[in-house]
Amino acid sequence: MQIEILTPEETLFAGEVTSLKLPGAKGEFQVLNNHAPIISTLTKGTVVCTTKEGEKRFEITSGVAEVMNNKVIVLV
Amino acid sequence: MANLKEVRTRMVSVKSTQQITKAMKMVSAAKLRRAQDKIIKMRSYAQKLHEMMSGLSQNIDGSPVATYFESKNSNKVLFVLVSSDRGLCGAFNSSLIKSMNYFITKEIGDNKGAFDILNIGKKGHDGMSKFKYNVADSNDGFFNNLNWADGERICQNVLNQFNEGKYAKVYLVYNEFKNAATYFNRISQLLPIAAREEAEESDSNANYIFEPSQGEILEDLVPRSLKTTFYSALLDSNASEHGARMTAMDNATENAQELLRSLSIEYNKARQAAITNEILEIVGGAEALENG
Repeated sequence: MQIEILTPEETLFAGEVTSLKLPGAKGEFQVLNNHAPIISTLTKGTVVCTTKEGEKRFEITSGVAEVMNNKVIVLV
Repeated sequence: MANLKEVRTRMVSVKSTQQITKAMKMVSAAKLRRAQDKIIKMRSYAQKLHEMMSGLSQNIDGSPVATYFESKNSNKVLFVLVSSDRGLCGAFNSSLIKSMNYFITKEIGDNKGAFDILNIGKKGHDGMSKFKYNVADSNDGFFNNLNWADGERICQNVLNQFNEGKYAKVYLVYNEFKNAATYFNRISQLLPIAAREEAEESDSNANYIFEPSQGEILEDLVPRSLKTTFYSALLDSNASEHGARMTAMDNATENAQELLRSLSIEYNKARQAAITNEILEIVGGAEALENG
């Protein structure tokens, strides 16, 4: 699925991932292909993107994520 | 007739001034490009945020975010004045302050106790002392290192003060960027948020899962979008500043060129006069010898 991690200053990550772990407000959750549409706020924690090349980690303090039709947008 | 040496020294000094203005223009052009880049990145963030918000329920009655939409019971207004830290950028700051003063006399009258000014940028701060306005806070040197974290901190302070009921309204006074040569003085209301026009019925939100809940997500998104608006204004002002300086320095370079042209005509005239004088002297001397 396609994900985009944006901050007001730059694009942290944009591309294809196989799995994504997000620090949701109600606990950490994982997003895989064909995840149901969801909007969730995020808390302090680590966003982990698993791509074909390996893992990428981003520390965030807050944010919001939207999953829709295998497109994930994370605003931090 | 001007002294030859005098004109030559003036030409040298004009030339070196021209070199400085030319260099400043180039620096501003590079900074402008970077500033525009920042705006573009910010725009995509703001757009995504807006899309996300429009998918959410617009019903805010009784929720904690309602505070951002209500005018507070206070007789004070806050102006956030976004100016520049450095000068040499034409009428960038003076025109902004002028339009703010115009707005104040029109909307508030001349009661200086009815509003506070929050300065971002040194030039606005310098200008305020002339009018004896109430300055709530000043952030000099903010644009030396323009970043989201600082902007967010200032905006959070403003939001807190508004929510505590210190201010009835908060206005953003800044220069909106259009292109390198054009900017507009803008005074826009940041708080309370103007009631949104009836959102187009979107049924896409029907199948979203909301975590924790729509209300709590709005609680996160509303201040976030306010900060986005706030930071966009800062970025716009920053880009306008560099654009304005580039234009001002371009004009200065052209004026120096014009001055150089007239100076070199003057120089040539003086030189020609000196030569003519010398020939006259020689001829006069020779004639005196012949006749003698």
